[in-house]
Amino acid sequence: MKTIAKAKLPLVLELLAKEYKVLVPAKFEGVTRFTPYQQDVELALEENVIMPPKDIFFPQTEKMYKFKAKDKSLEIEEYPLEDAMQIIFGIRSCDMKSIDCLDQVFLTKSYVDPYYKNKRDRSILVALSCIEPMDSCFCTSMGIDPQKAVGADIQAYDLGDKIGFEAISDVGKEILEKISSLLTEEEVTLPAVGEFNLNADVEGVPEKLKEMFDHPIWDDISRKCLNCSACAYVCPTCHCFDIANEVRGEDGVKIRCWDCCMFDEYTMMAGGHQPRPGKKERVRNRFLHKLRYFPERYDMLLCTGCGRCVVKCPVNMDITSIIRQIKNA
Amino acid sequence: MSEITKKIQEIAREILEKGEAEIVIGWEKGTFWYLSPPAFIDKPEDTQRLVWDEFCHNNLSKYLLDYKNHEGKVAIFVKGCDSRAFNRLLQDKQVDREKVVLIGIPCTGLKDQDKAKSLGPNGDIPKAQKCMECKYPTPLVYDYLIGGEEALNEVAATKEAPDFSDVKAVEEMTPDERYDFWTKQYDRCLRCYACRNVCPACSCRECIFDQTRIGWIGKANNSSENQFFALTRAMHVAGRCVECGECERACPMDIPIMLLNKKLIKDINELFGKYDAGIDPEGKLPLGHFDKNDPEEFM
Amino acid sequence: MSVKEIPQNWEPKILVFACNWCTYAGADLAGLSRLQYPPNIRILRVPCSGRVNPQFVIRAFQRGVDGVLVAGCHPGDCHYVTGNYFTRRRYLLMQRLLQYVGIDPERFQARWISGSEGPKFQQVVNQITEEIRAMGPNRKLRDAQ
Repeated sequence: MKTIAKAKLPLVLELLAKEYKVLVPAKFEGVTRFTPYQQDVELALEENVIMPPKDIFFPQTEKMYKFKAKDKSLEIEEYPLEDAMQIIFGIRSCDMKSIDCLDQVFLTKSYVDPYYKNKRDRSILVALSCIEPMDSCFCTSMGIDPQKAVGADIQAYDLGDKIGFEAISDVGKEILEKISSLLTEEEVTLPAVGEFNLNADVEGVPEKLKEMFDHPIWDDISRKCLNCSACAYVCPTCHCFDIANEVRGEDGVKIRCWDCCMFDEYTMMAGGHQPRPGKKERVRNRFLHKLRYFPERYDMLLCTGCGRCVVKCPVNMDITSIIRQIKNA
Repeated sequence: MSEITKKIQEIAREILEKGEAEIVIGWEKGTFWYLSPPAFIDKPEDTQRLVWDEFCHNNLSKYLLDYKNHEGKVAIFVKGCDSRAFNRLLQDKQVDREKVVLIGIPCTGLKDQDKAKSLGPNGDIPKAQKCMECKYPTPLVYDYLIGGEEALNEVAATKEAPDFSDVKAVEEMTPDERYDFWTKQYDRCLRCYACRNVCPACSCRECIFDQTRIGWIGKANNSSENQFFALTRAMHVAGRCVECGECERACPMDIPIMLLNKKLIKDINELFGKYDAGIDPEGKLPLGHFDKNDPEEFM
Repeated sequence: MSVKEIPQNWEPKILVFACNWCTYAGADLAGLSRLQYPPNIRILRVPCSGRVNPQFVIRAFQRGVDGVLVAGCHPGDCHYVTGNYFTRRRYLLMQRLLQYVGIDPERFQARWISGSEGPKFQQVVNQITEEIRAMGPNRKLRDAQ
């Protein structure tokens, strides 16, 4: 395998940054997230980033097109699509899986979302393996191998003080070729992955949930929920959005923004009816979507075990414990 | 199990068994050792889940809003700040005193969750910032008290003086520096509204931030809308913030929200005289009344 | 985000929230008395200065005004008896909060102008326009669209 000392990793990124826009996990304004590589960037490779790579492909606010409405005429102006290739370095297996989930939503089942597709098509993904799971990680419970990501162009391996690279796709090979002068070829054995603190047994949960829509368990689970969207907005797979107009006089912009099933306006209907009025209905929907509806439609869970929601929830709504409660119900 | 935890469980069991309340809201151990999230107990045998430790941050008074139209009684545990929040809700007629059983816990200060996470269980974990400035560690209102009167006196001795040095540091910057500072802070705001939803001062049935269709706030996440949110939220809780620090703790992006709230508290004190929210449920709110002799700067 | 250069031909845009009973009448009197003041202000008539919600002020900055003036009856003269006393408290606080997040104090002001104070209206508008003209366009809090 081709390897490089961790301390020399910036050289690789530097070289790639000459040709591509390179996004790296880094601490930016107090939060770890994927940030364009610059010389003084504060790389964060110890732990997974707080903000998942979701917003690279599906930004929190995305301008779709501009319009001008005057009298009875309407002009629409599209924003030019970018075509420069970008490399995203250091995506963990859980987040790679989340990109797979997003691909299902935005690219399959007869509708292809052009905004997502554009960003997705010009991205080269470099996955990075994990050896030391964080306290909140449970990816293995979700059927994910922390050392082997799905859909990567290059799989990078954390080898302690070194990083190893393995090309998976043709584009990946090309990229590795470009940095090969910096790498050394050597035999490596992959270090063992550490113990996981959290786990969840999802076996049979999607099937069981089919009968559980009216189960009293939802009353109990939802009571402490605050109905904020911290969980959904740090979630790598949550992908609900709302389309809104921003109009100033004759000019307007159509924007697409993240939305969350916890909000009042999310399900508010014309005429004021609210089919999901309270905590119970909203919390139930969130977990049914992740554990039942999504598997039914796409044959995969909408949770990758990254543990972000477990850490960031102000009242510690823990999906692993909810899965346990569903199992025991 | 600590002495207080034992007492908490006993009293909760008693309340449920006697039927004094239908439900007891307290804290239980969460996923990690440094998390003690809220617990809702309605069966006496479940009371053994309840705990009291240095991570019982959640302000349980907020949950009383969920039980506003509930027939039966609800019992909650209150620390000093939670009891101020309760008084505040009482002052706004959001809760009915008769329908709530309050169990007071004299609080010696909680520990910082984020630091606990990084320092580990054996580390020397500092107190949470809000607790370092807490003026009211003992519950101001309660029906039962854990630990009795002597505990109150003990805790009262840990009372801290409020410190506005962090607010002053921002005040000393130039306007442009201040703008840059706050822009950077709120540029990372996700507008998840955790700060609002956890806040016991936020008791509106319909919040303006949920009215994007009507146009009170834009749905887009950008500097301008985020600052609109920040400033409006701060003005809305002005004079009503009980300094429980929950907004800041709940924020997934670690925005120093209390730095805005404390600025308003400081100014209210300077402009309209000493005022601490949630002390007197009968009192008037600083922005809900006026004095003819208020400072005059608009002549 | 300081503004170093003032663009050519730039004119300040100032929003005046004028209470119906005093300041609006004051502005009217200024007009009747042929008192000149710069055309940079846009008057928005409100029933009482107490009607001016803090959100209105922030929204004005978002949408591109360079300065905001909230004006109403003198304390004691409110048509609704006490409305302006609440205004006074609210905007004493709001003014400090806006400064705290970096808005220059000149950009947001409040004044008491009665129905008989046409000259005062002229003088306040002159003064605020000059102050803001000297500072240049406001870029803070603005939405970028």
